[in-house]
Amino acid sequence: MTFVHSKTTVITVGGSDLSAFTNESSFGRKADKHDVTCYGKSDHVYAPGLGDGDFSMGGLYDNSVTGPRDVLEPLVGTMVTVIRKPEGTGSGLPQDSFSSLLEEYVETSPVADYVKWTAKFQPSDTVTSTNQA
Amino acid sequence: MNLAAVMDAISARLDTIAGLRCFPYPPAKLTPPAAVVSYPDTYTFDETYGRGMDRISLPVVVVVGKVSDRAARDQLGAYCNGSGASSVKQVLESGTYTAFHAVRVASIEFDVVSIAGVDYIAALFTLDIAGSGTS
Repeated sequence: MTFVHSKTTVITVGGSDLSAFTNESSFGRKADKHDVTCYGKSDHVYAPGLGDGDFSMGGLYDNSVTGPRDVLEPLVGTMVTVIRKPEGTGSGLPQDSFSSLLEEYVETSPVADYVKWTAKFQPSDTVTSTNQA
Repeated sequence: MNLAAVMDAISARLDTIAGLRCFPYPPAKLTPPAAVVSYPDTYTFDETYGRGMDRISLPVVVVVGKVSDRAARDQLGAYCNGSGASSVKQVLESGTYTAFHAVRVASIEFDVVSIAGVDYIAALFTLDIAGSGTS
């Protein structure tokens, strides 16, 4: 077992590699729960429900055509394929791939710093988690 | 970013200020008024994934004249002003560069430096520079 640094993380959205403009990302998976407790129980009883998830990313704005503004802003409100490689690109390294609704793209401009951006996605349907070929 | 190229580019841009002698590295000796691009306070890698962006905090020292000299104060003031032909901030931030993407003159500190036994007033500019991590 080894620790893995985030600097090698690779993220593509709709086929565009945004890694070089990204310095934070978060991918969570969760599941609904159903309370199926009936009489005679002293504690709640739960049953698993549908899976769900969330994904967000952000970083530093770049004004090139491959930068986050030109890539993401036109995709707001559409379904896109997100591929996330938390350990980078390489044979045997993990990869998550999922269809996702790009819910919002936000640019922030702190006066004494570089322009930053964030994007929020709602993963939809199955997440395919595999090791890269 | 190539550190030497960044320091050279900053010095070359400062050299467009009339009358200011510029050095892209700390020289063995200098005669005021002079600007010296010194070594970075910090060179921060991996501001983004995949070696996308690095960041440098680069000091530039401007030395003008004796502390007790009123003309030195006026001259240093021109370099420290937020705008004007001699404004270090205006001149550096209006330049175009290939060695890095962006520069911001973030702050100035003032100090007295001794050169050849003479105390000179100096302004220490801190530059916030960002550029590609791979070129």
